[in-house]
Amino acid sequence: TLPQKFNIDFVVAMLRQENAKDICVIQIPPEIKYCDYFIIVSGSSTRHLHAMAHYMLKMYKHLKEKSDPYTQIEGKETDDWLCIDFGNIVVHFMLPETREVYELEKLWTLGAYDDQLAQITPEFLPEDFVFGLT
Amino acid sequence: SITEACQAIQKLTRVRVVDNSALGNTPYHRPPKCIHVYNKSGVGKVGDKILLAIKGEKKKALIVGHKMPGPTMTPRFDSNNVVLIEDNGNPIGTRIKTPIPYILRKREGEFSKVLAIARNFV
Repeated sequence: TLPQKFNIDFVVAMLRQENAKDICVIQIPPEIKYCDYFIIVSGSSTRHLHAMAHYMLKMYKHLKEKSDPYTQIEGKETDDWLCIDFGNIVVHFMLPETREVYELEKLWTLGAYDDQLAQITPEFLPEDFVFGLT
Repeated sequence: SITEACQAIQKLTRVRVVDNSALGNTPYHRPPKCIHVYNKSGVGKVGDKILLAIKGEKKKALIVGHKMPGPTMTPRFDSNNVVLIEDNGNPIGTRIKTPIPYILRKREGEFSKVLAIARNFV
């Protein structure tokens, strides 16, 4: 469990403080046992993304108790997509171009009706396919 | 001739690319094969990075499921599934249709991006 003060409102307030653009918070139903909240944030440049991510991590380390697991920043070598997984909250820092390519908001809000998913041509097995050793 | 599943994913295993990248979905006369496993032992399990030879190019990839039975209460897949990744860790495809195991969350490594483009979890 996360410390009492490090919840979703605190995270969003911090992002607003950092001049993050397009803060998108998606609440995920508990059937998808991934996390509770999914946040996607845009930054103006690579340095902005790195600065936001490191600031987040610092605040988390400051507020967390000893029983909470440590988190690491993923995507440090990239220059357009970083993310941090805080257990029940996942934060993604992307550049606006990267955001348009992946369209994560559409995936997580539309679910099965996503248009990129529909465009994946379905694979068909040949009629004489036999599973196992021949 | 097809051999039975022996040791998860090692060098020269044929794998199945499950994301919707162009490199993974365009047909080629040779299936994508693993040429190196980034591990101390040469055997790759779920969550290991491997080097793939696709269409005459070398690409890194992440293993998301294999035919070999793993630890109890973990899913076993009917095909060795793999997601294409660039050198800096960004996935090349934008969606993954096949189910992805939850174990990736607990493993140390950069898996949040692959989990973000996945649709179903197992």
